[in-house]
Amino acid sequence: MKERLGVYICHCGGNISDYVDVEKVRAAIEHEEGVVFAKTTMFACSDTNQTDMVQDIHEHNLDGVIVASCSPKLHLTTFRNVTERGDLNKYTYVHANIREQASWAHSDDKLGATEKAIHLVKAAIAKSRYADPLFPNQFEAEKTIAVIGGGIAGMKAALSLAEKKSNVILIEKGNRLGGHTAEWGSLFMTDEKGFELTTRIENDLRKYNNVTILTGEEVIDTKGSIGNFELKIRRQPQKEDDPMEIMELHVGSIVVATGYDHYLPKQGEYGFGTNETVITLPEFKQLVDKSTSKSLEFKGKKINNIAYVYCVGSRQSEGENTYCSRFCCTSVIHTAIEAKKKFKGIQNIHLTRGIRTYGKQELLYAESLQMGDVYLEFDEHTLPEIHTEDKKTVVTVKDILSAGKEMEMEVDLVVLVTGMVPRADQSIGSMLKLPKGRDRFFNEIHMKLRPVETVIDGVTIAGTCQGPKNISESVNSALSAATKSFSYISKGTLETEPIIAKIDQDACSWCDKCSNACPFDAIEQIEMGGRTVASVNPIVCKGCGMCTPVCPVDAINLIGYTSEEIMSMIDALA
Amino acid sequence: MEERQIIEYDALVIGAGIAGGEAAINLANTGYKVLLVEKDHSLGGKMILLSKVFPTLDCAACITTPKVSEIARHNNITVFTESEVTHIAKKGDNDFVAQIMKKPRYVRVEDCTACQLCEKACPVSVRDEYQFGLIGRKAAFIPFSIANPKAAVIDIENCTLCGACEKACPTHCIDFTMETEYYELHAKTVILATGFNLFDPLEIPRFGYGQYKNVITSMQMEREIAPTRPYNTILRPGDGKVPDRIAYVLCTGSRDNTIGNPICSQICCMYSMKQAQLLMGALPMADITIYYINIRSFGKGFEEFYQQAKGMGVNFVKGKIGKITEKENGNLILRYEDIAEGVVKEAEHDMVVLSVGVKSNPSAGKIFDGNSLKLDPLQFVAQQDFLGSPAKTSIDGVFVAGTASGPMDIPDSILSAGSASSEAISYLTRYQSL
Amino acid sequence: MSDSFKKNAKILVFSTEKISDPAIDMAGLLKLHYPPTVYTITVPCSSGIKPSWIMHAYEKGFDGVFIAADGTDCIFGESCTEKTGNIVAMTHEKMKEKKIDPARLRMAALCSVCSEAFVKQMRSFNDYLIKTIHSNSN
Repeated sequence: MKERLGVYICHCGGNISDYVDVEKVRAAIEHEEGVVFAKTTMFACSDTNQTDMVQDIHEHNLDGVIVASCSPKLHLTTFRNVTERGDLNKYTYVHANIREQASWAHSDDKLGATEKAIHLVKAAIAKSRYADPLFPNQFEAEKTIAVIGGGIAGMKAALSLAEKKSNVILIEKGNRLGGHTAEWGSLFMTDEKGFELTTRIENDLRKYNNVTILTGEEVIDTKGSIGNFELKIRRQPQKEDDPMEIMELHVGSIVVATGYDHYLPKQGEYGFGTNETVITLPEFKQLVDKSTSKSLEFKGKKINNIAYVYCVGSRQSEGENTYCSRFCCTSVIHTAIEAKKKFKGIQNIHLTRGIRTYGKQELLYAESLQMGDVYLEFDEHTLPEIHTEDKKTVVTVKDILSAGKEMEMEVDLVVLVTGMVPRADQSIGSMLKLPKGRDRFFNEIHMKLRPVETVIDGVTIAGTCQGPKNISESVNSALSAATKSFSYISKGTLETEPIIAKIDQDACSWCDKCSNACPFDAIEQIEMGGRTVASVNPIVCKGCGMCTPVCPVDAINLIGYTSEEIMSMIDALA
Repeated sequence: MEERQIIEYDALVIGAGIAGGEAAINLANTGYKVLLVEKDHSLGGKMILLSKVFPTLDCAACITTPKVSEIARHNNITVFTESEVTHIAKKGDNDFVAQIMKKPRYVRVEDCTACQLCEKACPVSVRDEYQFGLIGRKAAFIPFSIANPKAAVIDIENCTLCGACEKACPTHCIDFTMETEYYELHAKTVILATGFNLFDPLEIPRFGYGQYKNVITSMQMEREIAPTRPYNTILRPGDGKVPDRIAYVLCTGSRDNTIGNPICSQICCMYSMKQAQLLMGALPMADITIYYINIRSFGKGFEEFYQQAKGMGVNFVKGKIGKITEKENGNLILRYEDIAEGVVKEAEHDMVVLSVGVKSNPSAGKIFDGNSLKLDPLQFVAQQDFLGSPAKTSIDGVFVAGTASGPMDIPDSILSAGSASSEAISYLTRYQSL
Repeated sequence: MSDSFKKNAKILVFSTEKISDPAIDMAGLLKLHYPPTVYTITVPCSSGIKPSWIMHAYEKGFDGVFIAADGTDCIFGESCTEKTGNIVAMTHEKMKEKKIDPARLRMAALCSVCSEAFVKQMRSFNDYLIKTIHSNSN
């Protein structure tokens, strides 16, 4: 039981103190049993305050520390580390969330927010009294890293890990490496072709003997957690009668680089599937890349006028893809310029929703304008229409750039500038329990500062499975993910949280209910003093607590969430 | 020649903004010793001075300060502030020699308690660069409230050597005898994270910046709405009035050949919409108009943020600003071409925010032997293998992180830093004895 | 004591670290308001909540208890939905014994971005509880 607690209440600049009366909170809790002092601070997370905390711990001989500030998702680790620097066990630290769950949630009710904050801090103090020092379980980690997906992101992640002398297994479901990138023709900035780029990287990759490349193989099951993942891999049968081959891999960390699907327009969307002169951006890129004649031909007909309809499948006001696909403006302008340079008589007409050639890509847009490409702009409420008149394709659009004038033009080809959508096959995400965002791409832990890590320890996300990206952005993301995965396990030993189930073996009389409830097979039957009782394997236990409510004699508690702790918190909140 | 102290690290990271910091942490977490050199008085670069970040509206200070603390405290990272790398020579693979000049702070950081008594005692007032000139500061000052290291600095350029601060200092940490220190660093790899410069709107006289007091830059507005803001509310500098018709002029200094910057700055659309949303929260009655050419909300959650801004009532006008003039009452008349209607119009606002863009910081180009570090035509660090290895520069073993290679937002800077540190670790591994 | 404390029902929410906590945090971030008399206790997984805790909350004066279940998103496995359901069933038995209205315990699956769903749940639960508390006390 703790008896020397220090409490810090954060203003968060004003994010908290604009709505919660932090002085009132301080006054309300400073005389709680065991509280040695309570103070308010402008930014609890600031270096100055952290230094003060370390000093306070020593000076006041504290045995527990509580900070009431933002969500523990942001700063639990920060303050646990501070506690450690004050020579206290970091698990004696308790956090109260009075920003996301008080000041911000109840910014419409300052008194209510303040009352709530008081109760939340009291509950944290109650919990703190039981927060005993805990020590992590150490174990050996597998030093091999699996990269799932053999597109540009997966290949680069694997290559960068190989360069760091890590063992890598690159798993690709399809029969070749290179992903979508290998299918693109000429690429923006360097004019290197997609397959040239992917071949170059593949050749580099194959030089390393610490890389295992599996193509035509699919992950069908995953088990375990950071340091010790077990992947079940199925070899796609090459012929119908081939037997199914299944193998197991043991890895310490996983880089997920499963990529994206091209948006496939619906039947009839801008004439797709009904008018044969309507094709998608990937089809157009292939057409431009593969054609060797002097003029561009499609289905035996010479192409002069091309209309590009932007944002197909992206930025939908009605529909689930509300996001911008990011790469398509640049990709289509680059290809349109290439077509004009390569073939005679091409006139490009771009029907856009505002050009997004961000950064240096702007130079490409400028070049396109200089070459005489025509740009029209429509808004989301008046989409262009495509119809057939006398076997000719006619496009009509209300052009914002000429004060909403209705334009009509006859074209030989319509290119639907299709965006990126999340993979239809979400099996990897489901197996690894990766959370998805509103856009249905995999979600990172923090959008700004931790863009490749996920809530699942040991699993990082690289490339477009996290959201639309162009090639160099995917590569940056892949190398970042590889570095994080590498640093997780490069030391060879890992520590797991000591928050695991604990069995009161005196009360236990083995009924197997708990072991049945455990999803990880962490509970074993052991003999103790002539009795059969349950015992928890501390490395396998993940601390979910599923075993705790099923015990008929209430002999199991989850460390950190014991009945005593929870009930004392309820008392404080009531 | 000055005496040089010889020091040795695995990696030199130049620039302690968010990109340099992330790169340093990645290297340090993998076990390498890093020297992080920053010319300014604090870690955290431009991000630490922001209000909130788009599209999450997380408070920038709240997410930057822990990162900055982690950097400052890391056992494998040594930070030099007030320092400049003046020259780097590559002697061979894994062998760089850098000359570093560490300027005196005139305050012993380890003894300073940031009590601010020196600030109170100092009689000299000058423009506060960390508040972008909105208010003044003293010549003895703490750079800003969440600066790291949080310690006083003596601005020797403006100091009158009156000695008042020395007398006021309770810990006697002010020391005018401090001198510039010179170091010769031996490092195996170099990461350039020298960041960007903000466009200076004085280059566009027709917008009246510097002449009309109620025309401010977006960075000044960023400070006005930050939690550590200079005033307690949002007001226009001309007369202290709370503004209620605010205009944003996008692409100030971007996509503009007349001032020599043809490219898009990538961040201005988003930060302007963020500021607009924050302003609507702070000043519910205010009208906010964003004048734009194209809205570029291309990143994760950005388009949704744009739609949210529209939904909140931010007024978006597609039009390029021709000229800004000032009325007697300090209000401003914006002359612009309304593209939706195809006519030239005028609109009155009581405050104008210029959404200034990203310019290159070409300083890195000068420090390498014989121009061996290539820059692109806009003076950003050139990327040798843009598609395959975006962090590689023209020198093997020297990598670029963040906006030193072009405009980027925060997540892209972090990814770019991750990429640069990955390349640096691979480079270090390549020459490690087995 | 603020008005909102008098007029609102006291609700205890059991939420989970990785799934529903982020949604509840995001409700705050987006300033989606709900009654300030809603309190959250965080646990790793909704299938680790003991019925005795819920009963204790009623004894201590909470009007309602809400389990923000992980559902199929649970990071500890798919059995979570069924197990959390069992906990509710077990608790309902105990509530019957004590003659507590079973509707004072609610459960719904909340995903990590279900902020709006959370706020809706809280408002409707609050409305229900206020109505029943008033009719009981009259």
